[in-house]
Amino acid sequence: MYAWKCWRESRARFIFLFIMSTSTALLFTLQPGLEVRNGWWYFDRSEYTRDPATVVHLVSLMVLTGLLTSGFLSPVFLGASASGSEIEPGTIEYLWTRPRTRTSVTWTHWSVSLAEMVIVAIVPTYLAALILGTLTRNWNLPLLMAAPWMTVIVGLPMLGLTTLMTALRRSASGGLISTTAVVSVYMIVRQLVMVPMHLNLPPLFAGPVIWLMHNNQPYPSAFPWGSLGRAVFLAAAFPLAAQYLLKRTEV
Amino acid sequence: MNDAAILTEGFSKSFGTQAAVSELNLRIQPGAVYGFLGRNGAGKTTTMRMLLGLVRPTKGSARVLGLDPTHETDLMRILERVGFVPQRKQLYGWATPAELVRMNKAYFPHWSDEAAARLAQRLEIPMKTAFKKLSVGNQSKVALLLALAQGAEVLILDEPTAGLDPVMVDEILRTLIEDHVSQGRTIFVSSHHLGEVEQICDWVGILEEGHLLLESRLEEIRQEFRLVIASGEGLPFATSTDVVSATTDGRFQRYVMAREAERFAAELRSQGATILEISPLGLRELFLHLVRKEDSCTPGSAGAKAAPVSSFSL
Repeated sequence: MYAWKCWRESRARFIFLFIMSTSTALLFTLQPGLEVRNGWWYFDRSEYTRDPATVVHLVSLMVLTGLLTSGFLSPVFLGASASGSEIEPGTIEYLWTRPRTRTSVTWTHWSVSLAEMVIVAIVPTYLAALILGTLTRNWNLPLLMAAPWMTVIVGLPMLGLTTLMTALRRSASGGLISTTAVVSVYMIVRQLVMVPMHLNLPPLFAGPVIWLMHNNQPYPSAFPWGSLGRAVFLAAAFPLAAQYLLKRTEV
Repeated sequence: MNDAAILTEGFSKSFGTQAAVSELNLRIQPGAVYGFLGRNGAGKTTTMRMLLGLVRPTKGSARVLGLDPTHETDLMRILERVGFVPQRKQLYGWATPAELVRMNKAYFPHWSDEAAARLAQRLEIPMKTAFKKLSVGNQSKVALLLALAQGAEVLILDEPTAGLDPVMVDEILRTLIEDHVSQGRTIFVSSHHLGEVEQICDWVGILEEGHLLLESRLEEIRQEFRLVIASGEGLPFATSTDVVSATTDGRFQRYVMAREAERFAAELRSQGATILEISPLGLRELFLHLVRKEDSCTPGSAGAKAAPVSSFSL
């Protein structure tokens, strides 16, 4: 029942993210065929069949770019309703006096958020793949097939970080602001270190998505296993830290 | 020892250097309706929260239905069998009472839909209005409905009627008596309304600055407890274990006696004291005598204006 409560609380955000990512994916998919003729939009399907491989590659990259945005927003917005966010509003007394362990509450929320993230990532991308495949008659779409899963893997540390931040800040808005602040500070510090020192540091955990975006070059690069490993580590470490903290929290 | 519904031994909680609850020894029998009294900040809410695992005790132990609330497995079994109405009756604002009932029933094996429907009707709760749109009174009723319908063996109620008008208070108390007390279930209730406590409780405990000043049957207070006011020089603070509290103001000494007031008065007379008054104590008078630091002149106190230099309690 707690899973239902998580869904009920996050569904408005989920619907917003779903509509946003679906409309973006559809727009990018249909964009090559759209043109203005005689003052009105016209859809020219022949644009897709002239050079299907190039169109598929370009559309896939655009969809992936859009997916990155929702891939960042989904875990942050969906994770902000984790149980830690109920401390400041006071509903935590109700929640923690139900016969469910704080561990199960933490991971149930995490699971519901993960399911929502997967839907937000997969449905728009695979819908785009279906339309693109139909229009180009080219069903070789490895980038679109892999993209949502990579986005989810990269989004998991963000979900964990948001879960941890809501536990630390004890509110949804506090968790949201802190997560954004942590990510922003990390990115700024990274740039401040890398640019003057001419360093090319590997991405902390976003490597798989970056690799996907740049891999269709004449000289494909090696898969960033280190970055994937860090993503998996952080995806587990952040919610475990939140679980540890919440188990010791007094209200 | 394990037959108590709630049992605490040396139960203590400190927040930094501030002791919220100190060496609390409670013993609440199954079927008792126990009124937990005290001023704001006396430690009542902290005690209740410790019993429900929301706050960890610094020292001491507790058993709720024979189970230890500091152990997670035990705590889950406690929470299945204990209903709780917190002081801050904050539930999910977006949810209607009907949704809260649906959500709640999944947690409790002894949940009664019949009781929930009956209580909703009796308390006239608008079941399809979002919780945040309900009045404070209706929000309190929803919290009580959820606790009562779960079929709890023990109810822990932290100021369940705070902020309610007298009609609602009466309705809630009658519901409690008819739905819970009559079935022999245990209630542990904190309240500032002593009249309510007298109406439903058979036991009271008075807490002050984390210390339990008194634990007694209400009937015993009515029948046995007496206030003895004496005047004289060099009167003792206490010469008997029957003295619950003694306060002094110049030549006047007030003793709250648990029993044997006449014998104690005779003892004081033998020491040269003049006994000005021996009067029965109601719960309200007893409470005020025990917890008041700046005691003003009260009716029947022979004009004594006691601002106690010190007080003593057993």
